[in-house]
Amino acid sequence: MKYDVVVVGSGPAGSITARFAAKSGAKVLIIERRQVVGEPVLCGEGISKKVDDFKVLEGKRWIANNMDGARIFSPDGTVVKLTAELAGSETGYVVYRNIFDQELAREAIKAGVKLMLNTCAVDLIRDKGKIKGVKAKQFGDEFDIEADIVVGADGVESRVGKWAGINTTLKPHDLETCVQYTLTNIECDSGYCDFYIGKNYSPGGYVWVFPKGKDVANVGIGVLGSLSESGKAHELLDRFINAHPELKKGEPIRFLAGAVPVGEPIEATRDNLLLVGDAARQVDPITGGGLMASIEAGKAAGETIGKAVKEQRFDKGFLSSYEKKLEPELYRKLKRNYVVKEILLGFEDKTLNMLADSLKDYKFDEISTFSLVKALVKKHPSLLIKLKPLMKVSRM
Amino acid sequence: MEKPKAIADRETCLACGGCISVCPQDAITMQSSKASVDRDGCISCAICIKICPVGAIKWEGCQ
Repeated sequence: MKYDVVVVGSGPAGSITARFAAKSGAKVLIIERRQVVGEPVLCGEGISKKVDDFKVLEGKRWIANNMDGARIFSPDGTVVKLTAELAGSETGYVVYRNIFDQELAREAIKAGVKLMLNTCAVDLIRDKGKIKGVKAKQFGDEFDIEADIVVGADGVESRVGKWAGINTTLKPHDLETCVQYTLTNIECDSGYCDFYIGKNYSPGGYVWVFPKGKDVANVGIGVLGSLSESGKAHELLDRFINAHPELKKGEPIRFLAGAVPVGEPIEATRDNLLLVGDAARQVDPITGGGLMASIEAGKAAGETIGKAVKEQRFDKGFLSSYEKKLEPELYRKLKRNYVVKEILLGFEDKTLNMLADSLKDYKFDEISTFSLVKALVKKHPSLLIKLKPLMKVSRM
Repeated sequence: MEKPKAIADRETCLACGGCISVCPQDAITMQSSKASVDRDGCISCAICIKICPVGAIKWEGCQ
């Protein structure tokens, strides 16, 4: 079996990378260890409407709910509202991640990509040290898949990067450990995605309520790994639900656990290999959202791979142009947000209450973490000292 | 005396992969869609135990 490119993992990052590589003429195979693309879902399922700008999805089957905005609840219950009142302001969707992923895989297949399910990558193939593809296992049979480029789109627990000598090990401080119920028979017709912050809700993370319809919502929690104890995420989420009668009366139709990298993007290329998506830590460290970053990075990776195949250049120098392409916008934003994450982690609950109180009537120019940070800086110039490193990053 | 080793309970594990991403020894892998700790690789650091959101990883012998 010989391909130009073998992609490990059929999540959004893998499918988009594969699709754009195939569109540029590369012969691409995706291998997926699970038996269904997109399942089990490991996601809060919220995404910005900016996804529409990328024009990577057709139809609306993947959309569960159209949101009016977001609300942030501080520890004392003060609400900061980010709404779509202003013209041109983009809000978000709550999606069905399984359908979302399947639609992206389908688009990749339409572009000529092959997909093998139940197929697990077990190691890289090397010839005199040079990466030549992956060893794969399907129904107990081990076989070689030769390829000029291996793409590790294998998520938070990425093994592909490790095999290539990239240090992908996350510090507990750079991991959010999560659980989520999809609760039905509840009341959640507010039109808002809600975020609850503060150490009583979640140390170093937040609780979210993302409505998928009028009576069904994803109710989840992320706890910072370094502040977590065994089973803590599950325990704190149950406590939150029990304290909210409108949620307590619901019944779960799904329970899941998840892990989200909230560090900075890591080095993502080697000769004949690149990482994309959660594997490359392309995630917003403040929100833990990775869908938009995966789409943006996957497109850049796929296009670079397309060129690499045309020019038969598979060295790190050539492949890393994909990371350079991301540097001015996506990476700048993720690095800036990492600095903000560090600052926010240092705030006591009473500081969070004070900040929320000062923003409760604020009119945000857009619904984003950046507009929130801008508002904070504007309202609290004294905090500027702490935010100074952030400003340096954002001017880069 | 040998240090205690971490062990993952297949019944409780929900396969989020968090433990694999933080293991400093690369001693955890997904085996048939559940986390599995390699006993020989485990250095008893307890990071995986602490970060497991559902408490599926424990010290061997502790129920």
